[in-house]
Amino acid sequence: MGKELKIRDVNKSFDVNGEKVKVLSDIGLDIEEGEFVVIVGHSGCGKSTLLKIIAGLETNDTGTVQIDGKEVKGPGIDRGMIFQEHRLFPWMSIEKNVQLGLNGKSKKEKENISDQYLSLVKLSEFKKAYPGQLSGGMSQRAAIARALATQPEVLLLDEPFGALDALTKIELQEELLKIKKRCKNTMIMVTHDIEEAVFLADRIVVMSSRPGTIKDIIKVELGHTRDRGGSDFAKYKKKIYNYFFEDKIVAPEYNI
Amino acid sequence: MKRQTKNIQNVLVFLNMILLPILIIIAWHYATVSGAMSTLILPKISTVLETLKTEITHGTLVSDIAISLSRIAKGYALAVVIGILLGVLMGMNQTANRFFMLTFTAIRQVPMIAWVPILIIWFGIGEESKVAVIFLAAYFPILVNTVDGIERTDPKLVEVGKMYHLNGWQQFTKIYLPSALPSIFVGLKLGLSVSWMAVVGAEMIAATSGIGFRINDARSLMQYPVVFAGMIAIAVIGVIMDFIISFISKACTPWERGR
Repeated sequence: MGKELKIRDVNKSFDVNGEKVKVLSDIGLDIEEGEFVVIVGHSGCGKSTLLKIIAGLETNDTGTVQIDGKEVKGPGIDRGMIFQEHRLFPWMSIEKNVQLGLNGKSKKEKENISDQYLSLVKLSEFKKAYPGQLSGGMSQRAAIARALATQPEVLLLDEPFGALDALTKIELQEELLKIKKRCKNTMIMVTHDIEEAVFLADRIVVMSSRPGTIKDIIKVELGHTRDRGGSDFAKYKKKIYNYFFEDKIVAPEYNI
Repeated sequence: MKRQTKNIQNVLVFLNMILLPILIIIAWHYATVSGAMSTLILPKISTVLETLKTEITHGTLVSDIAISLSRIAKGYALAVVIGILLGVLMGMNQTANRFFMLTFTAIRQVPMIAWVPILIIWFGIGEESKVAVIFLAAYFPILVNTVDGIERTDPKLVEVGKMYHLNGWQQFTKIYLPSALPSIFVGLKLGLSVSWMAVVGAEMIAATSGIGFRINDARSLMQYPVVFAGMIAIAVIGVIMDFIISFISKACTPWERGR
């Protein structure tokens, strides 16, 4: 399950102290069904804004975003979103948080679904706990379960592991790939972590800032199981790295 | 073993809490027994306790307090209902907020005691004027804290609500209200304690019954032990009410525990 996305000529400006600041300029991107696309860029390059436009939480000034041919007009349960902060409701148990998007289902159904996704993220024993009682990594897992529970065809991830410690981050990245394999959602992630991008992505979209434009799109051909220590992995990392820190054109030996 | 250390800890916490009251009582006792303070100004504890006992057994203290409490119940209940309702409205709706804000801020500046003369003219010296004073006193802390709680709701959580298509009512019950609840309880607590002040104040100025009236009456008859007994009764009941509302607050916001 998954849906294809077409982003065409999207422009977006914000008013900052009466001045128009362009954050997104002529963004065009096609994302295939079931693809994992990671958008990399400096903070403030508009990548999160782009994600919010896809989510329907932000409107674009011009251009269109289509999901399976239908234009995005607002938030919908065909899209799920995971934020940098877990954004769980502190007053609801983990279980109730996961059931948040399951309106109109019976209590029993809701429980079945939340049980299923909590076991997927290995939080079954904590379903009655409040978010305040969980660690950062566990809270983010619960947020993943909440986003998956509505079975969204497109999962949007806004720097979801940005606030986690390095080890938890690696653990959750691997789990995310397993989930991807099982649920087959289309996934779009925004990050500034180059290693994360190379580890997860089918394609990496490199964005430049002010205004945010797509600099390049790189297909990552490293197969399904990726070795963070491998030489090919390092070459991809270097290649992406060069977009941000060296202005020269990528040297031919990295041209893979 | 573990349980035992926990018990010892509880005892220590309790001692920590009651140490100051005990010290005050000891100081009071020696100040009067040694003759450092004239018993005309500060009666002996034993005299006050004696008075407290006779007042309770004769039922005067009990009926005075019952009258004052029933006034609080009416005025406070009114303040809770209207304060929370309007607070929610003002917190959720900018237009409503701007509409009421100036007027309410202006009214708030007038101390509740200054309301008493005009309320007596409007409502007489009976029940209504007392209930009105209590309402005015308790209403604003409840209103202000409710508005504040609703307004401080994390917009990031509201965004999540939009993501999951919660309708207006669901956004209110699942996000705004629980988010504001701790703050609302702060208002309820403050409102309850100022209710006491308001009712006693109003009863001291114009009333024929109630604990405030009793204190004022005893003062004019120079029965100072009765004044002290009344004050102690107010303090004790105030503490009990504070405990009750803290307990309700904790029961209603279980997620706040251990934070």
